[in-house]
Amino acid sequence: MSGRAFVEFVGVEKAFAGKPVLRGMDLAIGKGEILYIIGTSGVGKSVTIKHLVGFLPIDKGEIWFDGQRVDRLDERGFYPVRRRVGMVFQNATLFDAMTLTENVALPLRKHQGLGWKAALADARRRLAQVYLADFADRYPAELSDGMRKRAAIARTLTLAPEVVLFDEPTTGLDPVNARRIDRLIRELSRTLGVTAVVVSHDLPSIMSVADRVAFLYQGRVHALATPAELAASADPIVQQFIAGRSSGPMETPGF
Amino acid sequence: MSAAPSLPVRALAALGRPVIAAARATLELWGVLIGTLAGIIRSYGKGGRRPRGAVVAQMYAIGNRSLVFVAVTLGFIGMVMMYQACLQFSRAIGDLSQVGLQFLRLVVSDFGPTLTAMMLATRVGAGIAAEIGSMKVTEQLDALRMSGVLPIDYLLVPRFLASIVMTVALTILGAAIMYGAGGLTAWLSFGVNPRTFFDPAMVQPRHLALGLVKAVTYGAAIPIVSGFCGLRARGSSEGVGWATTAAVVGSSFAVIALDFALSVGALWLFGGDL
Ligand SMILES: Nc1ncnc2c1ncn2[C@@H]1O[C@H](COP(=O)(O)OP(=O)(O)O)[C@@H](O)[C@H]1O
Ligand SMILES: [Mg+2]
Repeated sequence: MSGRAFVEFVGVEKAFAGKPVLRGMDLAIGKGEILYIIGTSGVGKSVTIKHLVGFLPIDKGEIWFDGQRVDRLDERGFYPVRRRVGMVFQNATLFDAMTLTENVALPLRKHQGLGWKAALADARRRLAQVYLADFADRYPAELSDGMRKRAAIARTLTLAPEVVLFDEPTTGLDPVNARRIDRLIRELSRTLGVTAVVVSHDLPSIMSVADRVAFLYQGRVHALATPAELAASADPIVQQFIAGRSSGPMETPGF
Repeated sequence: MSAAPSLPVRALAALGRPVIAAARATLELWGVLIGTLAGIIRSYGKGGRRPRGAVVAQMYAIGNRSLVFVAVTLGFIGMVMMYQACLQFSRAIGDLSQVGLQFLRLVVSDFGPTLTAMMLATRVGAGIAAEIGSMKVTEQLDALRMSGVLPIDYLLVPRFLASIVMTVALTILGAAIMYGAGGLTAWLSFGVNPRTFFDPAMVQPRHLALGLVKAVTYGAAIPIVSGFCGLRARGSSEGVGWATTAAVVGSSFAVIALDFALSVGALWLFGGDL
């Protein structure tokens, strides 16, 4: 397939109202890989993964998925991509007005064309798999953060995606629930061969789960390495981020 | 970086920016309207998935939210207006036999639909903008898109259809209450015989047609303007607040502007005789 990686960003540029966020970002992600994207807040991590599923148009560059160029697709053209690339949103974005079962059933109905009854039955089964059977008829507002996160993951996994994008999956969770999410990401990759792209600030999670880490800085991939290599990196900017020092060579807008 | 631009250039840029922003917003507003109309065709056309129950649920929500509000407001306005009208008529002409005839004509072709829609613009408009806006800022709209759902089809189409139906229904109710309250006031305060007052002789089909066209147009405009504001919401709860305010202001303004445009159009169509 033209020698392209499974997912590939080539020279991607994106600006909001004249303010550049991505400035020629290159990133190649292999099939079945667990790639973490790290970087300071506002550097463009969420923007990067949103580009892959077409929520935001890029200004310049190319995005490839499984040998197909996707950055020029229209909303309809992205449907098949969104069937194969799932996203777990930062805030465990469930639909407030629906019960958990209805939340999970929606993509089954729309993407797979299942009938309402069949979709609901399937959704119940999937909620049971993430230990939420007792809460299937509750509304999202009635649940804890960890439960919402699990339900959102269940909804994303209903379509058996080949790539799953996680936007800060462990942020705001207690350490026990966070490690459970870590384990889930690893299992998805090891047992189902799912490619995982994880945006995270969670160092323990990065160190124990990531195959490779892309460190985003000033709109580009500043460093791309295994977690161990990154931890041992001599690059002063990487060092500052890993060590979490407030002062150093790193330039962060707004400070 | 070159030297700072000269004053005229900066002045032009300062003038141009809001113009460009306004043009872009107008384009987006049209986009929402076209998208909603296309969404109706997608949902109700051949092989479309009708949003079963969603329209009825929205109709209920609008009615539930606005019925008493519209009835009370239009009733009071009817009373105040009729009291003033009787006062002026009796001073100027001394004859109140025409008051009811004229009032009905006005209520049917203008006050009924326009005042009802003004009330709905605040209640329904704010509701739509707040709902869609908060879904926007919490990424629920993106989650819908991930699930293979177009947010406009799923959220705006049912609200659009429900709003048209309910604006017409509430206009009929509001106009009736306004007319009734006016008649009651004229009778109790000025002794106008209800038989003289409640006489539909002056109302022509064109008045009814104009009233209906207005109600349908307002009913369509309110969810489009409010949905547009909600879809533009950005940031967090502050953005939702801004969108809600903009929706109320924008859809109220749309009602007034459309009232003017439709009234002028009707005057032209009927040769100045309305
Ligand atoms: N839809 C949008 N409109 C305008 N600006 C945006 C939008 N999405 C993101 N941005 C801006 O782009 C920058 C990067 O955002 P994001 O990718 O969310 O950061 P993070 O790396 O923390 O996930 C931020 O400055 C943000 O304000
Ligand atoms: Mg983010």
